Amino acid sequence: MAKMPCPFFELRNAVVGIAGLGGLGSNVAAALTRLRVGKLILADFDAVEESNLNRQNYFHDQVGIHKVDASIENLRRIDPDANLVGYKIRLNPDNIPQVFAGAHIIAECFDRADQKQMIVETVLSKMKKTIVVTVSGLAGFGRSNEITTTRLSPRLVFIGDGVSGTGPGVPLTAGRVGIAAYHQANAITEILLNELNFMLLRGGTWTND
Amino acid sequence: MDKRLKINGQIRDFGDQLPPTLSELLKLLHIDQATVVAEVDGRIIPRTAFGQTELKDDAVIELVRFVGGG
Repeated sequence: MAKMPCPFFELRNAVVGIAGLGGLGSNVAAALTRLRVGKLILADFDAVEESNLNRQNYFHDQVGIHKVDASIENLRRIDPDANLVGYKIRLNPDNIPQVFAGAHIIAECFDRADQKQMIVETVLSKMKKTIVVTVSGLAGFGRSNEITTTRLSPRLVFIGDGVSGTGPGVPLTAGRVGIAAYHQANAITEILLNELNFMLLRGGTWTND
Repeated sequence: MDKRLKINGQIRDFGDQLPPTLSELLKLLHIDQATVVAEVDGRIIPRTAFGQTELKDDAVIELVRFVGGG
């Protein structure tokens, strides 16, 4: 069987962590697999539920399967050679630096606001060579152009409209969550293509402080 | 002269008294402490230290707020 095309060979050296495999993470993982990013570290504690299928990259016959296993199964259908490492774990400030050791970029793909806060604070304060790409404000539908990507600082990229949280009457929809997920994937692509060589040079063997 | 803070790029005057701590500032701004990452003068302040982080005149504060959904 012919190998999948690799548009950017330099990305074979990249390591990206995906924290949470829901509407954001499952779609970011698929996009980065298609891009043939060198290695993906996937972390989630949950199993696929029926209610996830309206926006998450899973299938009906995967309900009940752990999201890490279901993601690996789906990503290997895109690229059988994909280098994927899965952690069935609830992430916290103590285990995040270990789980994502070696990652150049972490995609924050959680659902809850306090969990988003937790991982961004942890990466910025404990993983001094890692960039975090976070999302806040993607609920509802329409208003596609209000979702933006902003580099707030060298190690923090912020995606979303900043205000649209989930709540009663404000659902998460495939289109708007997907737009945010693809903003994430696109921001990660851009950073890796522009900065990975510099990161590799600076880091030598990549280690976090 | 009025005491002031630069919050997310905007200068805010507080009259003759600043909120004494980061925690007090967030209360004043009605920001839920569980959903904000804060940087003061270029340093990330862990959420657990908000109450002990004193604010000085002309401090530069960056607040990144999160809402749910993913």
